[in-house]
Amino acid sequence: MAESALPTESELNDCNRMNAMNHDPVLLEIMKSLLSAVAEEMGATLGRTAYSPNIKERRDFSCAVFDPVGQLVAQASHIPVHLGAMPLSVSAALERFGRLDVGDIVVLNDPYFGGSHLPDITMISPVYADALLGYVASRAHHADVGGMAPGSMPLATELYQEGLIIPPVKLQSAGRLNEGVLDLITRNSRTPAERHGDLAAQIAAQRIGERRLRELADRYSADVLADYMGHLCRYGEQLTITLIRRIPPGRFGFNDYLDDDGYTNHDLRIAATVEARDDQLWIDFTGTAPETIGSVNAVRSVTLSAVFYVVRCLLKDDSAPTNAGIFRPVRVTLPEGMLVNARFPRAVAAGNVETSQRIVDVLLGAFAQALPELVPAASQGTMNNLLIGGVDPRTGERFAYYETIGGGMGAAPDAAGLSGVHVHMTNTLNTPVEAIEYAYPLRVTRYELRRGSGGAGIHRGGDGLYREIEVLADATVTILSERRRHAPYGLAGGAAGAPGQNWRLEAPRTGDPLPSPALPLPGKTTFATTAGERIGIATPGGGGWGTPPAG
Amino acid sequence: MLDHHSPVVGIDVGGTFTDFVYLDDNRLRIYKLLSTRADPSRALLDGLAALNVASDTVIAHGTTVATNAVLEHTGARVGLITTLGFRDLLAIGRQTRPSLYRLSFPPRWLPVPDELCHAVPERVAPDGRIITPLDETATETVLDQLIAGGAESLAVCLLFSFANPTHEQTIKRLAAARGLMVSLSSEILPEFREFERASTTVLNAYVSPLMARYLDALEGGIQRLDAGNWKPQAGRHRLWIMQSSGGILGAAAARREAVRTLLSGPAGGATGAFHVAALAGHERIITFDMGGTSTDVSLADGQIRRTTEGNIEGWPVRVPMIDIHTVGAGGGSIAWADAAGALRVGPQSAGSEPGPACYGRGGHHLTVTDANLLLGRLDAAHFLAGRMTLDIAAAEDAAASLAATLGLTPIALAEGVIRVANAHMEQAIRVISIERGFDPRQFTLVPFGGAGPMHALDLAEALHIGQVLIPRTPGVLSALGLALADFTVDRSRTLMWPLAETTPRALEQALLPLLADTRAATLAEGFAEGALQLTWALDLRYRGQSFELTVPMETCDPAAAAQRFHQAHERRYGYARPDAPVELVTIRVTATGVRPKPAFPRPAPAASADPRPAQVGQTRLAAGGAWLAAPIYERSLLAPGHILHGPALIVQEDATTVLIPGWHAQVDPWLNLLCRPNRN
Repeated sequence: MAESALPTESELNDCNRMNAMNHDPVLLEIMKSLLSAVAEEMGATLGRTAYSPNIKERRDFSCAVFDPVGQLVAQASHIPVHLGAMPLSVSAALERFGRLDVGDIVVLNDPYFGGSHLPDITMISPVYADALLGYVASRAHHADVGGMAPGSMPLATELYQEGLIIPPVKLQSAGRLNEGVLDLITRNSRTPAERHGDLAAQIAAQRIGERRLRELADRYSADVLADYMGHLCRYGEQLTITLIRRIPPGRFGFNDYLDDDGYTNHDLRIAATVEARDDQLWIDFTGTAPETIGSVNAVRSVTLSAVFYVVRCLLKDDSAPTNAGIFRPVRVTLPEGMLVNARFPRAVAAGNVETSQRIVDVLLGAFAQALPELVPAASQGTMNNLLIGGVDPRTGERFAYYETIGGGMGAAPDAAGLSGVHVHMTNTLNTPVEAIEYAYPLRVTRYELRRGSGGAGIHRGGDGLYREIEVLADATVTILSERRRHAPYGLAGGAAGAPGQNWRLEAPRTGDPLPSPALPLPGKTTFATTAGERIGIATPGGGGWGTPPAG
Repeated sequence: MLDHHSPVVGIDVGGTFTDFVYLDDNRLRIYKLLSTRADPSRALLDGLAALNVASDTVIAHGTTVATNAVLEHTGARVGLITTLGFRDLLAIGRQTRPSLYRLSFPPRWLPVPDELCHAVPERVAPDGRIITPLDETATETVLDQLIAGGAESLAVCLLFSFANPTHEQTIKRLAAARGLMVSLSSEILPEFREFERASTTVLNAYVSPLMARYLDALEGGIQRLDAGNWKPQAGRHRLWIMQSSGGILGAAAARREAVRTLLSGPAGGATGAFHVAALAGHERIITFDMGGTSTDVSLADGQIRRTTEGNIEGWPVRVPMIDIHTVGAGGGSIAWADAAGALRVGPQSAGSEPGPACYGRGGHHLTVTDANLLLGRLDAAHFLAGRMTLDIAAAEDAAASLAATLGLTPIALAEGVIRVANAHMEQAIRVISIERGFDPRQFTLVPFGGAGPMHALDLAEALHIGQVLIPRTPGVLSALGLALADFTVDRSRTLMWPLAETTPRALEQALLPLLADTRAATLAEGFAEGALQLTWALDLRYRGQSFELTVPMETCDPAAAAQRFHQAHERRYGYARPDAPVELVTIRVTATGVRPKPAFPRPAPAASADPRPAQVGQTRLAAGGAWLAAPIYERSLLAPGHILHGPALIVQEDATTVLIPGWHAQVDPWLNLLCRPNRN
């Protein structure tokens, strides 16, 4: 159910101003629904036809529709981390080629030219009736695009080690598929057949998007379509302005830290201030640590995604459109060379999955001072990436297991935090224990709530999780995790959530379900195990909200 | 033995009415009573008495007793036993939050209280081998704790129990000795994926005690009726319950496996629509059931499509259900203006209490029903055959303030409300058709429910659907579906075998017990061998994939299964990998007791196509900002062959059909209205 507070007087004035813009409030709502249906249907096609579990089961993809100048007019809600990045993909394609013709599809994954991190491959195509109607784009996380480790998310020090870099190139020209580009991409992947299937699914999604947008133009005329793309963006803008007007004057700043970059063991500061001025929201990241040698660097598009995610959440409207208008009144200051606006060729894989989470924590910390009634305490702030690879003794074949683990959600002014869920920039599903044990030489020995790990408060933070896995083969283990030293903060007197912990147990003990951590592991690490070892991960709890009742 | 002459009564208990459709020797009788919410069986028994049904009548009943228990959280106090290390199996679920852009959520409701979730030492390997034997002493301690904690019903879900159910069966024995009602995951859903299996098992434990009590009371009531005006011989009358799959289940099985009824609410209507349309020669249909708070759509492509992807209150239910998509838009959906000046409709609903403003029961918000009334699409004089008066002034008041806010005239606003509501429903039809790979233009839209026929033609126009079939009895289609539904028993089991290493003999050994079990259950309900259909299928996937495709089978031939799987994959996803290893994930068997389908009476055709004999009034309809004169026809006065031209309103006791300008309707031999655009 969407929130449905009755409009205040000033909001009604906004309404009247909107209506003076000469559009039909009925057609506006209908166009909102139809344009988002184009994006949703692209997503349904991609999800239905993709090959890899990452796309099909975990739904790690997004689809979007753009107007003729490349402004986002609708996006299917799948993965927040793609939010700010998709428009930059369209601008990169246009910057490279000037204009796109009927039947073109541009493909890219270059984090420094329209992408976010290398596994995310984006396609963009123009849609023409007589004139240009707009663009459609799809982005999917491909399980492997080469690089120094399976899964293309290694502990790297430069982008080249992370996989194949694809600048904007034409995968299809005037309706003709460029087989060479396709071959180049699939040949660079450890799983070429799967890549081929997933890329084919993305092409199918592009075609559906093109067709559906053309049908909208047939039904309402190209002019009406163009008008309402504009109206919808102004409508979205108005929603954000309504939010901005609730923010009291002043600059609200907040800092938080990444534990480390996996190479050096020191705090990495992220700082932001927010200020509402002249119906605009000014966000400034000055004061953030410089880019670093590990892969926790976030490119500009990832940071913008985090900003847009936070604004989109603060609107508190599930059915608000996700379009450029929502973000138009937002001004972001991002000096180059910072951790949150890294320069080529810094490594970026963890920037997308880990740093993006901390950026959200920092922004929410700042907004908590401006709009305390809307903002929750910090959530687990990490995705707890776990990768285990080796040779399966049952089959003699190589295996590569990758999973992210949920944790505690921060408590809000109106509710306790949820326990054991993915937070903020991701929302992918877990893999069932029985599916893991069928597919890999692994035995999950524990998967339970980490009771008491959520911060105390009037509303408690959500609890993290325990996940313990016995590795039944000699294997290499990589863990990419955060919030092992810097706990998720509480708000309004609420206590911080418990930081996460990683450990290994050299000999499995039977009969004792709760073994104490034997050998603590760092937050980011790679090491070799022998058969019979257990890997344990305790994920962070969420921060509490409000001073906890005494006693 | 059931034969073609067994009379049957379909009984659908709805929120407002309890509907009866009685079929006896191809005669069809319809009866409606106000539902008795506190004890739904009262209206049901009153209706049976009033209809004076024959003594060997089959009673086919659709009940939401289980559904309501889950929606209202009033089910049994359930205890759960899982494998040590996994006691939070339910609470963790799939590790996702319900919505992307929300920063806080209400607490998640758990069908098992936290203090009744327990785990016992035991472990079974994926291949069924026992790694750690069940600790029976610890199990007895847990059972004693559960009973001390007030558990009435027990769910057991151990890891890999479908590969070796020994430990679950031991727990059942120990629990039964203590008088607990037990649901085992290895019996309810012997399939892999522990969370979905646990959820389905727990929901079964949560609703089965209530269902048992309800059916006990109902059967007791039926027996008391026997002493009165009808006297079935022992064992001759049968009580059947609708499942979510659209198939009927015996009452005894419904007591044990009540989870199979959880999503059965819309199943009767979809089944009824399918049979009515099929009889009239329409095999490819999209059903469109618009009610007060929600709208259900489904698609049949020669047969009703099923899925096991259902869920209720956020909890997965992995037993077969009709593939129905539901949106929260209905006649009671409330219109409002948002902060930036767009007109929104829903998801808030005025429900049936207080209901739309025009119901005059204290509702002040403009709803879709109010908008229909203001536009002349609902005739105040003919609503529910005059049993309820509609307050136009109240609807006008509700429209006035919102219209001022949005800078629209009240009529433009009302038209806007209908268009926005239709946009939501259009999207629902797109999901069930286009997103599933079907082109809606190749289907006939079959609307029902009180409001379906009011909106259907606008939707058809938006989706370029060229044919709309409005059943003769749109308001009791659900009860009709119950009366016509086949009896089905579904069984499945996860095998997870490499297909290449599977011998025909191994496959046969897995299949035979399932066939024997489902066959026996069907024959036990009185079906003759000749009425029994056994079908089976395999869920297959390429190793490494996480979704399976279900492939129907006739013989135990693994090579043929592989062949069919490659073809199915090619058809669905556009490619196949004939060299890649295939996994046999799950085997599925369905036994169907086929019910005779009566040929409905075909009344005498009209003397001419001119429908004026059926005209009972004149009204005006708003369309595109103008008022158009429109005749009102009474549905019961229409005869086969009549042709009606829009704009027109066709009224009947339980529904109103809006025939929009540019469309015409022909009354078919079964008194359905077949509507088509004039340009075709």
